[in-house]
Amino acid sequence: MDKATMETLARRAGLDKALAEFPDDVAAAAKQAADVAAKMKAPTDPAAEPWPPMRAGDDL
Amino acid sequence: MNAGVSAKGDLHWLTVADAAAAIAANTLSPVDLMKALLARIERLDPRLNAFIRLDAETALAAARVAEVEAAAGRLRGPLHGVPVGIKDIIDVAGLPTTAHSKILDGKVATADAVCVTKLRQAGAIVVGKLSTHEFAIGGPSFDLPWPPARNPWNTDHHPGGSSSGSGSGVAAGLFPMALGTDTGGSVRNPASCCGIVGLKPTYGLVSRRGVFPLAFTLDHVGPMTRTVADNALMLACIAGHDPLDSGSAAAPAGHYAAALERDVRGLRVGFVRHFHETDVPADPEVTAGLEHVAHSLQMAGAELKDIRLPALGEFGAVNRIILQSEAWAIHGPWLRSRPGDYGQLARRRLMAGAFMSSGDYLQASRRRKEMIALVETALSEVDVLLCASSMDPACRIDISADVERTYPRQARTPFNVTGHPALAMMSGLSSGGLPLSVQFVGRYFDEATVFQVARAWEKASGTDKKHPPIV
Repeated sequence: MDKATMETLARRAGLDKALAEFPDDVAAAAKQAADVAAKMKAPTDPAAEPWPPMRAGDDL
Repeated sequence: MNAGVSAKGDLHWLTVADAAAAIAANTLSPVDLMKALLARIERLDPRLNAFIRLDAETALAAARVAEVEAAAGRLRGPLHGVPVGIKDIIDVAGLPTTAHSKILDGKVATADAVCVTKLRQAGAIVVGKLSTHEFAIGGPSFDLPWPPARNPWNTDHHPGGSSSGSGSGVAAGLFPMALGTDTGGSVRNPASCCGIVGLKPTYGLVSRRGVFPLAFTLDHVGPMTRTVADNALMLACIAGHDPLDSGSAAAPAGHYAAALERDVRGLRVGFVRHFHETDVPADPEVTAGLEHVAHSLQMAGAELKDIRLPALGEFGAVNRIILQSEAWAIHGPWLRSRPGDYGQLARRRLMAGAFMSSGDYLQASRRRKEMIALVETALSEVDVLLCASSMDPACRIDISADVERTYPRQARTPFNVTGHPALAMMSGLSSGGLPLSVQFVGRYFDEATVFQVARAWEKASGTDKKHPPIV
């Protein structure tokens, strides 16, 4: 993730103060997120549903 | 009770079961037990930092009440008069829940968490609140209001986390049992580093109400003890449906100690070798320890079979995406307004969720369901899984590069992702005198079989008799 994209996403998330006071930590967080997302495989079944399963509540 | 142990003044190594039995038989005073432990805490905790807050006066007063009740034959339950430590993200009425952080501003809990209520109903006495990694994610850290806990086997080393004080204190004989929480391995990591028994129960088996959340769909509360039998006893006291916890399972609490002394002949054990052989190659002493456990179970009559699951790296990625996305939903407001009140590690780890998309979260949640199916398939072929917990003995706590390198070298996150019960315990000691570990994993709500296999290993190896040399 390039610096401009990282800063745009950080500001969109409301992290202006963190960006001003702890820019290295914001950059490290962005890198962690990008690295971990890259390691995940997509589900093998295009119709796979998420866990936990969707359940109708008592109040529906 | 082992009268010889108490006669020598070694009350601090009494098991939960032995202490409870002796108190019930009026051969051990809960006050004497509490005083012995408080004296040990006073002597050792300045080196261990297991406690954030010791509640000595209240604990001693409760021990006096327990003594009167025991003398009158009025036992509250199976833990009557036995001290317990509570990780400081779990509410104890009248005490602050700090989560080892400035952020919560010392807010005092007005009610006990459900798991604490259940322990008290069983007769346990809360001795204090225990160190954790900040909000169960950021640690070990030296930039927080309290120092990090240390490993009693060697205080220069990390005790594991995030239930650091729980692991350190149980191993050091400061209290015989503690509550921990486990979202990515945080009961089993300190159990592994400190050589005790730590269980992450089936997801939903123990109520999370009154526990500060890290990630809603991954959080578990679990027992930490020095013996397998104590772990089963503690679980029996805290398990059960809570209608006010939306993640609570409807399954009835089980008979967790039912198979403890049953032998393992004919039991099918699936050995997940690729976790430590190829996914994350383990320290050779860890590998040797795992082989020794497998061989020992085989010699006792268990059938061993190799099992393949998805790679650890993929389990880890799914765990991290879900964990950090859910944690961001909780911590976002504070990270926006008070980023400087977090320690650096928590700040970095918690802010990562801000950079994950809804698509990342949903893909991880969909992949999670497929991973659950794969582990379920494996557990239809065998009764229990055997695999690594930590790939290394505990590293030095003050070398952050070592902590960063070894922290992800583990095989615990798969079972937070899938929710299966998983127990970590000692497999032996390294040449450097630090605990090595093994993990047993069972079918949903079949903690009894996990305990059965763990107890078989404990009996064969005597791990319950191995204590750190700290005095």
